[in-house]
Amino acid sequence: MSASTHSPVLKHHFGDLNQQHASERLGMWMFLATEVLFFGGLFGAYACYRLWYAAEFEFASSFMNVKFASINTVFLVTSSLTMTLAIRCAKIGDKAGLYRNLLLTFALGSAFMVLKGFEYAEDFHEGILPGASSFGVTDLKHNIKTDAEHAGLDTGKVRLFLCFYYIMTGIHGVHIIIGLGCILWLVQQTYANQIPPENYSTVEVVSLYWHLVDAIWLFLMPMLYLAGAHIPHAH
Amino acid sequence: MSSDPNQTPATPPGHNDVLGHVDSPPTLIMVWVAVLALFGLTVALSSSGMFGKYTLFVQLAIGTVQAGLVAYHFMHLRHGDRVVVLTALASIFWMGILFVLFMSDYMSRSRVMG
Repeated sequence: MSASTHSPVLKHHFGDLNQQHASERLGMWMFLATEVLFFGGLFGAYACYRLWYAAEFEFASSFMNVKFASINTVFLVTSSLTMTLAIRCAKIGDKAGLYRNLLLTFALGSAFMVLKGFEYAEDFHEGILPGASSFGVTDLKHNIKTDAEHAGLDTGKVRLFLCFYYIMTGIHGVHIIIGLGCILWLVQQTYANQIPPENYSTVEVVSLYWHLVDAIWLFLMPMLYLAGAHIPHAH
Repeated sequence: MSSDPNQTPATPPGHNDVLGHVDSPPTLIMVWVAVLALFGLTVALSSSGMFGKYTLFVQLAIGTVQAGLVAYHFMHLRHGDRVVVLTALASIFWMGILFVLFMSDYMSRSRVMG
């Protein structure tokens, strides 16, 4: 009898560990397919309005903080690397390395959210808001309505871009927070000795989700931050 | 614990093929560098504005290469089962249907309605 049919991590309804790992991976990929379609709807809506209202979208995008977003891109791509290294550590039974890489991934993901928080705060104080209300604050740096009119553009279409910005980065941020929760759970599972090498797939399925969230950001970055990067103003 | 003398050197002693392929850190680091280099490229191209109205398409093309690298190496499609690769491709295929159907509507309205 092989170890793969007598492992303590083998769940009773699977024939062996290979079947269990393959099922776990497939299950996560099926979920990721629904996520691709979920974000696909947002990307599609954005693409449509970007092509219709190109000037307004590029103008609004030029207010975005490319510096913050670039640092965040480095954080996320690096976190994908450490997450993949965590799988490797799980496979070779390097518990200390698994801890280190999981905690590094968690730290990088958290740094992304913290920086995003600072960015939202800056957006608010600069008046980069999707609606007419500034929530009672009067000394904002920009006024989207007057800025847009000064540039000869439609205020509503500029604000439409900002709606996309807040909705897309907001939903992406929620995914990051869920991913961070899953990574903390992996840390707890490692502590409880629940991730021996033959149970590496537990780390792998969380990593698949984390990488997808990273990959989505790689599209959000040019769509939201770089659309107006060639327009010299705003920041 | 079984010990197979024919197992590959990448697999640690005491384990069989249950672990599958173990990533090599240099490859992963090269992929990481490539994704970040492509990011630098897309920022540089976007800031220069050299592609004009085609900028979005160039950016999305670079983004697709980046996401492809992440999916192929970090998400292990490189060593994935056929059904997993099929699921990944199916998600792109269905998103393609989504785009073709609604873009053919929205992008042709001005021609129909003037």
